[in-house]
Amino acid sequence: MGRIGPYSKGNAVAQVFSSRANQIVYFVLYGALVLIILSPTIWIVLDRSFYHTGQFYALEQPAPFSHAHHVGEVGLDCRYCHQGVETTASAGLPATEVCMTCHSQIFSDAPILAPVRKSLASGVPLVWNRVNSLPDFVFFNHAVHVNNGVGCVSCHGRVDEMPLTWQEMPLTMEWCLGCHRDPGPNLRPESAEFSMDWQPVGDRKKLASELMAHFHIDTRTMTDCYACHR
Amino acid sequence: MPVTDKDMREELAAAEPARFWRSLEERARTPAFRRMLDAEFPEIAERYATATDRRTALKLLGASLLMAGMGTAKAAEGIAPYVEQPENLVPGEPQFYASTLNERGYGMGVIVEAHEGRPTKIEGNPNHPASLGGTDPIMQAAAFSLYEPTRSRTVLKGNEVATWGAFQAEVAELRERALLQGGAGIGVVIGPNTSLTLQRLFSQLQQAMPALRFYLSDPLAGTPRPYAVLPHFDEAKIVVSLGADFLGEGPGRLAAARGFADSRRVRAGGQRTMSRLYCLESIASLTGAKADSHLLVRPSAMDETVARLATAMQSGTGDDAFTTALVRDARAAGNGLLFIAGERESAFVHATAQRLNQPSAGITHTLIAPVATAPADSGSLYDLVTDIGVGAITSLFVLDCDLMHSAPADLDVGAALEHVSSLYHHGLHVDETARKADWHVPATHDLESWGDLRAFDGTASIVQPLIAPLYQGRTIAELAAALTGDFVSSSLDLTRATWAQLDDAGWREALKRGVIADTAAPAITAPPLAEIANPVQEAAQIDVVLTPDPFLDGGTHAANLFLTELPRPLTKLVWGNAAELAPATAQTLGVATGDLIEIGIDKQVLALPAFISPGQAPDTVVVPLGFGRWTGEDSDTVGTNAFPLRRRGNAWLLAGARVKKGQGSGRIITTQEHHAMEGRDIVRDVPLAAIADEGPSAQEPPSLYPPYEMPEEAWGMSIDLTACIGCNACVAACQAENNSPVVGPDEMAVGHDMHWLRVDRYYAGDPEAPETVFQPVPCMQCEDAPCEVVCPVNATVHTHDGLNAQVYNRCVGTRYCSQNCPYKVRRFNFFQYQDFDEGSPLSLLMNPNVSVRERGVMEKCTYCVQRISAARIQSEISDQPIADGAVQTACQQACPTRAITFGNIKDKQSAVAREKTEPHSYALLEELGTRPRTTYLARVTNRPDEDKGNG
Repeated sequence: MGRIGPYSKGNAVAQVFSSRANQIVYFVLYGALVLIILSPTIWIVLDRSFYHTGQFYALEQPAPFSHAHHVGEVGLDCRYCHQGVETTASAGLPATEVCMTCHSQIFSDAPILAPVRKSLASGVPLVWNRVNSLPDFVFFNHAVHVNNGVGCVSCHGRVDEMPLTWQEMPLTMEWCLGCHRDPGPNLRPESAEFSMDWQPVGDRKKLASELMAHFHIDTRTMTDCYACHR
Repeated sequence: MPVTDKDMREELAAAEPARFWRSLEERARTPAFRRMLDAEFPEIAERYATATDRRTALKLLGASLLMAGMGTAKAAEGIAPYVEQPENLVPGEPQFYASTLNERGYGMGVIVEAHEGRPTKIEGNPNHPASLGGTDPIMQAAAFSLYEPTRSRTVLKGNEVATWGAFQAEVAELRERALLQGGAGIGVVIGPNTSLTLQRLFSQLQQAMPALRFYLSDPLAGTPRPYAVLPHFDEAKIVVSLGADFLGEGPGRLAAARGFADSRRVRAGGQRTMSRLYCLESIASLTGAKADSHLLVRPSAMDETVARLATAMQSGTGDDAFTTALVRDARAAGNGLLFIAGERESAFVHATAQRLNQPSAGITHTLIAPVATAPADSGSLYDLVTDIGVGAITSLFVLDCDLMHSAPADLDVGAALEHVSSLYHHGLHVDETARKADWHVPATHDLESWGDLRAFDGTASIVQPLIAPLYQGRTIAELAAALTGDFVSSSLDLTRATWAQLDDAGWREALKRGVIADTAAPAITAPPLAEIANPVQEAAQIDVVLTPDPFLDGGTHAANLFLTELPRPLTKLVWGNAAELAPATAQTLGVATGDLIEIGIDKQVLALPAFISPGQAPDTVVVPLGFGRWTGEDSDTVGTNAFPLRRRGNAWLLAGARVKKGQGSGRIITTQEHHAMEGRDIVRDVPLAAIADEGPSAQEPPSLYPPYEMPEEAWGMSIDLTACIGCNACVAACQAENNSPVVGPDEMAVGHDMHWLRVDRYYAGDPEAPETVFQPVPCMQCEDAPCEVVCPVNATVHTHDGLNAQVYNRCVGTRYCSQNCPYKVRRFNFFQYQDFDEGSPLSLLMNPNVSVRERGVMEKCTYCVQRISAARIQSEISDQPIADGAVQTACQQACPTRAITFGNIKDKQSAVAREKTEPHSYALLEELGTRPRTTYLARVTNRPDEDKGNG
């Protein structure tokens, strides 16, 4: 009793694969080859994709804080809230009481500020979601950048145009090193550190070398591993 | 690696050993030692012997590939800013506060570093006389004991959780009843404590309840005497230690170490003389290791030897080389003579030292009245048990001492405590004593308490908290206040009341400086000499002598794993104690390292493993105290408790002890052979007279590498082997600063210690009476580093300022670098050593400026690159160069004798550059051409036989 297959008629030997089967084999084999050749490229592209770096993705926050309103419209200085930025590693996030210096007077009943009022009343801190996140083995210092001609906008983008804050730059090691190898083009004078819309005028190369000299920047130690990894 | 006696003696006879050796096994070159040397990480092969077969390997490979793809995007990290920003606190910036740590009741001044309110690192306070900026390992480990997970957390009534309020109500009721009878029936047991606040409260208590009795539990107490000696090493030309370990023990040891080292800091262009230290000792000690001439005397012969020495001092002739030289030098030194008697030596030795010291009183030393550590008429533990026995004590407060652990064997404290109708215990742990108690109140750690303490010279300082109590802890002062009827004052109120003479400005100044001005004890004139007859001690065949463990003290720090795992200075033992004995004694007893020794007194028999330790006195077995203490349900007891060997009047040298070889063997874990750099010219010494006037002509060995450019600072280090006393403070400081893990006994046993810095201890000469040399070995930061060229992933690279940087996030763990390192200074994370349980308080201990390394990553000394970075960032911001001394490595800062100098060697005026031009400066294994940035100053010796004309 032989088993009867779907295509068999009587006892004739069945055609197991159709004539199209060869094409599938070719497709799979060549496809795999192409994939292997392309995979480094895919890896490189994916690794730098916004999906992976997390760029331009505005995170939900406990209160929908808008830099566009506070910086762009009201015109607050960065340092009003981020007080540590000129002196310490961490720029610092404002304490609840800093928010409430203004919001006890204006928009004091706004429903969107309820979490802030609740924090002040209960003494429980607001927990914001970190937008610009670096791995734990990276030790970034705001003060040394801000005091040496790197403006806020250079890394954080035009926050005055962000209703909810997103990450503007890739924050990959490649991106950090780009500037550490050649900081000149990203430097600005002290007066423009906190400016959102400063643009260099005149010969950019000349300005870059002038600023490098002005801030005494020596790039040799800036690419030493321990500049960021300790 | 046990060495058999036969092996060793045969090999010793056959081989011509190197001058310096670290262990008898190394000296004898046993096959086991050779094997250890040949394997990079010895015993790792045995450890991973179970070979994985091909199928399993493929399965694992597939599974890991699959799981690698299953990762999900991480949720955003939360940031919680303050609600109200505390003044003076800037997130990310460390804060520094002066405080005081309690060591055996005395104050050690410290500066504590805190990050966002959590204390992480202890430094010495330069203003404090007991620290002078230096620290010891116990101080360095204080932050660990704060976060130590087995600490007691709640008030307990019986085994039930209770509250401080309930305890206060209980005390109030007790007080009401007791006041009617003047406090009769109440006893208070305290450990030694110099706090003036406590003394004030205790005397108030005594006034209110005259019948209340105090008992002092001081298991490590030495010989009582009516004065304390403050040595001045700068004036002493000849120092004679009569069994005194003034460098390794006692509340003034850091100051003594500083003074002693400074009197011996010989430099070509500076000081050209050094003091000479004669040491008479029966227990190998740090002081004995630094001695220029030392004599090993068994403890039972100490009195007799000191008596003979005293006679020789009078007659001017000695009967052995040691005494002859000593007498000759003493005559020449005139008033520059200083005798120091050991804490636990007999009254006769103290009286003799005092008599010999008298001509130089006020010059080489001053006397002060001893700093009070307990109420004047405190009873002993024997009195306590008697009083309980006759029913005189019905309510007992045991404040911060573990009686069950430290009681001698002829005192049944357990039964006595059962007799007390209400027992109140206060301590950091729910230990054996706490388990017997009706009430237990958790103690606060020093870093959580307000209080005050006095230093060895009487100087008072404030204990200032860095953090609010983590648990329901209370200070002894708060308990004492409750007994006096004060239920509201905090320990801050109580401390300020004691120092009411300080106004607000004075109080702030005292807090800021870390000492209260003008509180040092005044000098007293020498008390009349007591004539004490030389007691004749009966010599047993073998003397058994107890000694406090240098790190655990009498068990106070038993739960501190930093200290448990820190190699003991001389034996390099970790995770346990052993019966230490000299090679000849071991031969007499027929034991080898690891064999059990049975020590019997009456019916009590204690078995512990033997450890052959050159430098112990002949026919003597030394047993360290402080081990075997149980500190709560989640803790493991480590080592053997030797307190039960004690009898009344028989606290240190155990008369009537029987010693014999036992059955079987015990576990010995020692790091003395780990990381051996065998058979080379590693430690060097040079006689004082042979030091040239000029530095070495810098002859760099030839190299195929291009010459090293120094565009920026060139960091370098110099370690002075003359100043190093081998105390291991640097090792503890390195561990605390750099988030180094505790790996546990099993890992230590196979040589996986994670201390970036090790202090190698070398012996030279006769194994029965060797010379001892210490050599701290951090990473040499080679300019032409052998580790860098073999790394396949560029995880170890050179920086522009000459550091040999290790990039953890790049390291894939091939361990080639470690294989290629001639100095054996690289450490590998074989396991995830720092995988804290959820909510473990130990995660609060971490220094936020140093990465916590994970499994499979190589790590090593970085010259504290986080401190260099902080200084460089400041210099970039301020546009000022980094000043000499602005960067201090953790080991350098901790060193009590300032043996380590660090700085920019490119700046020829810097302290480190000057040290490197000294004639006795040398680089380790410099013939390899690695051009190490860390160099050494050879140990300068001042042996009596080196004197010109006396040879």
